[in-house]
Amino acid sequence: MNPRPRTAAIACAVLLALGGAAYAFVNEAISMALEAAVPYVEQGFEVREDNWSGEVEPGKPLLIRHQLFRGNEYWFWAGTSWPGATIKVDIFDNEGNSVGLESFAKNSFAGVRALPQKTATYFIRVVASYEKTGKGMTKAERGANEPVDGVGEFTGVLDWGLVYGYR
Amino acid sequence: MIEMSQTSSASLRRLVVAIAIGAIFPGLVTAQDAEAPAAPERIDLTNFPGELVDKVVVPIPAEIFAVLDKLDEPDWNSGIQLPDANDRGGERSLLALTFGSLVAEGFIAVQAKNAGEIEKIGKRVLDLSESLGLASSVRPHSLAIIEASKNRDWGKVRDELDATQQTVRVTMEKLRDDELSGLVSLGGWVRGTYVVTSFISGSYSEDKAELLNQPGLIAHFREMISSMRGPSASAPAIRAIATGLARLEAIIAGSGNLSEEDVNQLRDISRTMLEEFYFSKTAP
Repeated sequence: MNPRPRTAAIACAVLLALGGAAYAFVNEAISMALEAAVPYVEQGFEVREDNWSGEVEPGKPLLIRHQLFRGNEYWFWAGTSWPGATIKVDIFDNEGNSVGLESFAKNSFAGVRALPQKTATYFIRVVASYEKTGKGMTKAERGANEPVDGVGEFTGVLDWGLVYGYR
Repeated sequence: MIEMSQTSSASLRRLVVAIAIGAIFPGLVTAQDAEAPAAPERIDLTNFPGELVDKVVVPIPAEIFAVLDKLDEPDWNSGIQLPDANDRGGERSLLALTFGSLVAEGFIAVQAKNAGEIEKIGKRVLDLSESLGLASSVRPHSLAIIEASKNRDWGKVRDELDATQQTVRVTMEKLRDDELSGLVSLGGWVRGTYVVTSFISGSYSEDKAELLNQPGLIAHFREMISSMRGPSASAPAIRAIATGLARLEAIIAGSGNLSEEDVNQLRDISRTMLEEFYFSKTAP
C-alpha cells in the first residue's frame, strides 16, 4: 500500500475518533502523532486541535515551550511520516530537569506523559532521526513503490508534528 | 439517562475506530507500550544545541477550567456573561478579539452544562464569522456545537469549540492575517482569565491562584501586540489592551505566590481589557 493514501486513511479515521473535527488539509506528520494519541483518547484525554509541525534536519533537536497547569495530566505525541525515520519526545521543566513520567518511541511516533508539579512553562524536546540513504532503504520503507524522478528521495529534512492532550 | 446513552455511543464509536485501526495496522502503538524513563535527564536550556520553535500554542480555557473543577465546585452558570451584540464599527481587530472571547464564553457554558446558552453562543459565533467573512468555514462547527449541546454531548461541544477557533485561526493565517489570528487567541485568553480570577477571588486559595502563573503567555501576547503593523496597531482599544497586558505581567512577574489582592487586581484589569471590545463599559 502506498504510504500517502494509507496515512490519509489513518488521519481520517483518527479525526473521526477525535470527534469529527476536520482540517482543510492533511498534515501527515500530525496524522502520525494523532495516530499515537488514539489509545489515550479512550482513557479520557482531550486532544487539542492546535499543534506544532514543520521540517527539521535529522538529529537536530527541537525545543518547544508550552504552558502546563498543575492538576492536569498531559500526554504529548510526536510523529514523522518519512518512511524509515524515527522520532523521540521528552519534556523538561524550566530548569532543564526531565519531568516525563513515562514514554514510548516506536518508529514513526513517540509520546511522553507529564503530571506537572507546578503551573509554569515547560519545554518539550523533539528529535527526528534518519540514518538510511535511499539505497539503504527497504522496499517497504520506500512505500513499496520505486522512486520516480526524485519522488521519494530523501531531501535532507524530515517532517515532524507534535500534538497534546490533557485530562 | 439520555446523556449516559449518548456518551456511551460516542465512546463506542471512538473505540470501534481505534480497534479497526489496530486491526488494519497491527504495528501501531498501544497505551501499554509506554515505559518509565530509565534515568532522569537534564538539559541546559541556556545553551540548547538545537532550534527553539517559535510557535506558541495558547491553552484553551477548558484546560484551566478542568483544574478549577478538581479544586472546587464553581457555579459555572454565574460565570456566563454573554453580552448583547454590540456594534463597534466592524474593526477587524476588535472582531477577532470578540470572536476569541465568544468561544471562551462557550467553554464556560459547557462547564455549566447550559445547553440554552451554548445554542445562543453558537449562533453568535456564526453571526460574527459572517462579519469576518469566514462564515462558510465556521458554519459546520457552529451547527455541530448547537447539535451537540442539544444532545448534551459536552465533550463534543468542547471539541467543536476548539475546532472552531482553530479553523478561524488557520483560515486567517492562510489569508496572511496572522495578526488577527493571534488576536483570536488573545480574546479567548482574556475572557478565560477574567472568569477564572472572578471565581478565585470568590474563594481564594494558593492552589487556585497558582493557575494564574502564566508569565510566558503574557510575554507572548505582549510581543504579538508590539509587533502589530498597520492601522490596528495604533487603535485606542489595542493600545489599552497592551497596557492591560503590561499591568498583568507586572503583578504576575512580581510575586512568588499570588495573594488574594493580586488576584482581585488581575480580575479588574482583565475586566477593563474586555470592556474595550466585549463587555459594555461600566459607568465610572
